[in-house]
Amino acid sequence: MSRFLHVLENEVQIAALVFLASVYLLRVVWLMRFRSRRMRTYPRGSAAGGVALSLVNISLPWSMESVRRKPFFYVQFVVFHLGVAAAIAATFIIPYAPAFFRLRPAVLAFQVILTAAFLVGLLRLYRRLADPALRLVSSADDIFSLVLMTAYFAAAFLAVPNDHLRREWTLILFFGLTAFFLVYVPFSKIGHYLYYPFTRFFLGRTLGHRGVRPAPRSEK
Amino acid sequence: MRVKKTGRRGEGANPVIGLPLLTQSQERARTEGLRSVTDGRLKLYDGRADNVGRFLELLRRRLTRPLAASLAGCVHCGMCASSCHYFLVRPDDPTMTPVYKADQIRKIFKRHLDWTGRVFPWWVKAASPADDEDLNRLKNIVFGTCSACRRCTLNCPMGVDTAALVRFTRGLLTELGIVPEGVFNVSRDQWETGNQMAVTREEYLDTLEWMREEVEQELGEPVEIPVDREDCDVLYTINPREVKFDPRSIAQAAKIFHVAGERWTMPGWGWDQTNFGLFSGDDSLGGWVAGNVYEAARRLRAGRIVISECGHGYRSTRWEGYDWAEFDQERPTESVVVTVERSIRRGRIRVDPARNAEPVTFHDSCNIARSGDLVEEPRRVLRLVCSDFREMHPNRTENFCCTGGSGLLSMAEYRPLRMEVARIKAEQLRATGAKLVCTICHNCVDGLTDVIKHYKLDMRVVQILELTARALVLPGPDPS
Repeated sequence: MSRFLHVLENEVQIAALVFLASVYLLRVVWLMRFRSRRMRTYPRGSAAGGVALSLVNISLPWSMESVRRKPFFYVQFVVFHLGVAAAIAATFIIPYAPAFFRLRPAVLAFQVILTAAFLVGLLRLYRRLADPALRLVSSADDIFSLVLMTAYFAAAFLAVPNDHLRREWTLILFFGLTAFFLVYVPFSKIGHYLYYPFTRFFLGRTLGHRGVRPAPRSEK
Repeated sequence: MRVKKTGRRGEGANPVIGLPLLTQSQERARTEGLRSVTDGRLKLYDGRADNVGRFLELLRRRLTRPLAASLAGCVHCGMCASSCHYFLVRPDDPTMTPVYKADQIRKIFKRHLDWTGRVFPWWVKAASPADDEDLNRLKNIVFGTCSACRRCTLNCPMGVDTAALVRFTRGLLTELGIVPEGVFNVSRDQWETGNQMAVTREEYLDTLEWMREEVEQELGEPVEIPVDREDCDVLYTINPREVKFDPRSIAQAAKIFHVAGERWTMPGWGWDQTNFGLFSGDDSLGGWVAGNVYEAARRLRAGRIVISECGHGYRSTRWEGYDWAEFDQERPTESVVVTVERSIRRGRIRVDPARNAEPVTFHDSCNIARSGDLVEEPRRVLRLVCSDFREMHPNRTENFCCTGGSGLLSMAEYRPLRMEVARIKAEQLRATGAKLVCTICHNCVDGLTDVIKHYKLDMRVVQILELTARALVLPGPDPS
């Protein structure tokens, strides 16, 4: 392994991670500086139950009509985010547990997931550009983020065999992209997962307190 | 104010975005020197003022944590689109998606409060309103193309509360007087008279007396509609529409309370449970109106506040009103539907479902089902008082808006679009095959009546009190 790749896989990643964590921390502080209102009403339901349900809502595809009507879209969502999880996991496995990717089935499993996520990325890119409603609201960041993620899946696909002797460039590409991601993410829409717990918490607390959620399903 | 055509990309199909701001009512209020205008509670449009600067200042000052999270958290996935009746009926108009509507305030938020948007606005589509015409365009979007039904909120994977963002934006514009005339007029009436239909105290008391006589005649025994009686179990609050247009619901409530033996009263002041602050986004109006009700209950030492059948009134008085008024809840606050159900369950009134033999379906009010908590209670009552109850689909928290929500009934300029997108509701109603559609919201009564007329449906709108009063078995000798 070249010295350059070693530094890129370790020191650069750690520095980028520290940067990401610092910006996220500032972001949370920024969000918490907005005022909050306490609830003054008698509860009808459970705020805690509402929050819990709200936070896991994404794993309950039947709970939202929008998802029930578009199950394939939900499958895309799952595959895409599995790809994200696989790619992120690879950034830790390659430098800290390289033996894992000496297992052929492990590499294959990662590559299957990343390929599927890559295809979903292309589908989503097409949808964003072809659908007039989405095109109208899409920013340069929305499109760039999607392109970047799709390219990242491809880079991860090439990198997981961890062949730094014959194809070091794949690892340089992957870790270079990872470092860029870690710096760019907090300023882009990719950082939405930072807000997810907050938006779901606030909505779940209100709906739970009022007894709207958990809600009875639409009766047939 | 005259408005030039926007010509913005993608907005060509939107039929309301270019409507002008009409200010005749505001001018009249200024000329008449209304008290609410002179003391600054009711805001008027001033074309010479720095409205954009004021808008941005208000945005910074009023933004709360949940709203900031909703503004920052949207990923533009577009999942909300198919939940919106506006977009479902106008799929070729990309400005009808909830995400587009919310983005109109989101881009301003990004430009002035978000890091990336402040440095690279073009990268994240951040933008600032340039002038009052842009604010007027924003008015047409948040007042004219959204009924704040909250369907998109419940269908957003991220939990972005678009309906709350729409109300928040309405509130900023209301502070500048950049509102539809109907919104201004109703706000004016509520500020000036304490109720949104400018019902005078004499009209109110006369109507109560009239209804008391009606019930007395029907029952053939002395009946009371007490006003300002202290230490009662129930403080009954109503919608001014009941006084102004259809007081039968007051008589129906009086009849049920009388037969159930309720110790009840109505307040002489603070009787309007409706709240236009919910629609205009004006928390100060909302707090004042709701506060009137809470103060009345405190003054009369009432056991509980009971709210007549009204969607936004229930939501405002039961939930948001306490926050707006900064008033900690002191006593149970419930819908009259809950009171009626309790009376039936406890055997205080008896009902005969055979008296309501026509097929009945139920329309869930958005403010009650998605922002309140009553979905099963009205159904339980309907099953007790009707012999043929059938569900509408989808229902409960997934029901579609009557299309008259969020004050849209008062905004005549948006009516053609409202009736066009009501097609979804009309199809829902028609599919039930019911002859009666019951709702526990006065706003929905008018909204649904509009839909029924416009789409020529063979049905009429009823409410729980009407059906219960009809099914009521009066005490007397057992005929068997």
